[in-house]
Amino acid sequence: MTPAGAAIGDAKISDLEVREYRRESSGLAVVGIRLVHSTDPIHKMPPRIRCAIPRGLGSAVNSSRISNRPLVLRLPSSFTPSAATTRQYATATAAPTSGFRIPDDYVPPTKPPTARPSDTRKSQLLRTYTSLLRSTPITLIFQHNNLTAVEWAAVRRELRLALNSVSTEGSESADIASKAQLQVIRTRIFDVALKIVEFHDPSKVTPTTVSSISGKRVKVVYNHDLSKAAYKASKSATKGDEPLPESSAYGQISPLLIGPLALFTLPAVSPAHLAAALRVLSPSPPAFPAPSKKKNPGYHDAIAQGGLQKLMLVGGRIEDKVFDLDGVKWVGGIDGGLDGLRAQLVHMLQTAGLGLTTTLEGASKSLWLTMESRRSVLEEEQNGPKEGEKKEEAA
Amino acid sequence: MITRFITEVNTRFNPFSARARSARLFLSFLPPTARSSGMAITTKLLPRTSTEPSTLHVKFKDGKEMNLDCEAMGIKSIVEEVDRHSRALQKAADLADG
Repeated sequence: MTPAGAAIGDAKISDLEVREYRRESSGLAVVGIRLVHSTDPIHKMPPRIRCAIPRGLGSAVNSSRISNRPLVLRLPSSFTPSAATTRQYATATAAPTSGFRIPDDYVPPTKPPTARPSDTRKSQLLRTYTSLLRSTPITLIFQHNNLTAVEWAAVRRELRLALNSVSTEGSESADIASKAQLQVIRTRIFDVALKIVEFHDPSKVTPTTVSSISGKRVKVVYNHDLSKAAYKASKSATKGDEPLPESSAYGQISPLLIGPLALFTLPAVSPAHLAAALRVLSPSPPAFPAPSKKKNPGYHDAIAQGGLQKLMLVGGRIEDKVFDLDGVKWVGGIDGGLDGLRAQLVHMLQTAGLGLTTTLEGASKSLWLTMESRRSVLEEEQNGPKEGEKKEEAA
Repeated sequence: MITRFITEVNTRFNPFSARARSARLFLSFLPPTARSSGMAITTKLLPRTSTEPSTLHVKFKDGKEMNLDCEAMGIKSIVEEVDRHSRALQKAADLADG
């Protein structure tokens, strides 16, 4: 036995890094375990196949593929490799003696069950859109009619210029400007994403019982956007011919989702940035005039103008509410942004309070005044005759 | 869709109405070079509360004007209608060329 072999032989299983690979040939699954001693200087190299053991084993016991074959991995306690080969492979055998068996209904935590195939581009786009919808309070929806790539580039350049012009360097507004983006979306997938965001409530999904790797029964909640619960919720909400209620944001926005669409998204409610974007993408004087030719000649070149003519603002979604063109312009026209609105509200409440106190005070004040005047009248009446009498007496 | 012989497209629609579908799709069918090759395209978006019907008005090189009813016609039948006239113009143009 070589010193290295002895070292591996003496090491506990927990000290060994276990890497696994799998290969199926002629219907027989061969599961190999590569045992590498972690303290051995030869094996300081990073692993060529990066995979954690539970995940790899989980795919090995995928019950749909390997149904009736029990998979048993034997990890011998005294393991003696030969000196010539430092890589050692153990093969799976069908005779379990003292083994480790993965439960049939084991679900790897990194690969939860999904209603849609999770590794397709469409599913990942759907996830992108749901997270986009949850994280962006301002979304403008544009229809784009066959813009060429150079036109898109010109439009984005002008948009970036306009957004940077309304933000100061190093502040929060610069952050908003840098995160704002104009992106082309897949209309149908975006439609599904809107449904999931509105109708699927992740907190209401009931937990499922599955086995953990050690065979213990544990409760897990699968409430992600590709889950069966999300799929069912979005499907059942729009089932049948009856129209969605007026209050439903999806019901309001769904007629807009036709044809080629692009989204302009802002990561925060910032009317200043929205106004800047509107001035570039859909100028409408006098409130949102296009940049002047002198200040911004690039905006008026043929390519940028050609692109902008093909972009058509059809609506917007601002904080889960659906707005048409005029509504979007109204939001863009709020002076001073959200802080300005708050200041307006505070001012309104203050003046209202002042009015209320004067009104409440007014009744008692007028009562006091009437009583006071009545008293003075009575006093005069009382005093009057006395004075007359005095005068008479004096006379 | 043959767009060579179209000189003018005028549309009016309320995007929040389901009936605006065919008008919007017609706009997306026009080629990227439509405006630069002399086609005049005007789009008027109606406010959300408007119940005006969506309209599509197409003018051709030979002076023919078409008022297409977007409410009842789908995009397929609109394209078919426009192409029917365009094909006649194409035939005439081909004969004149050759």
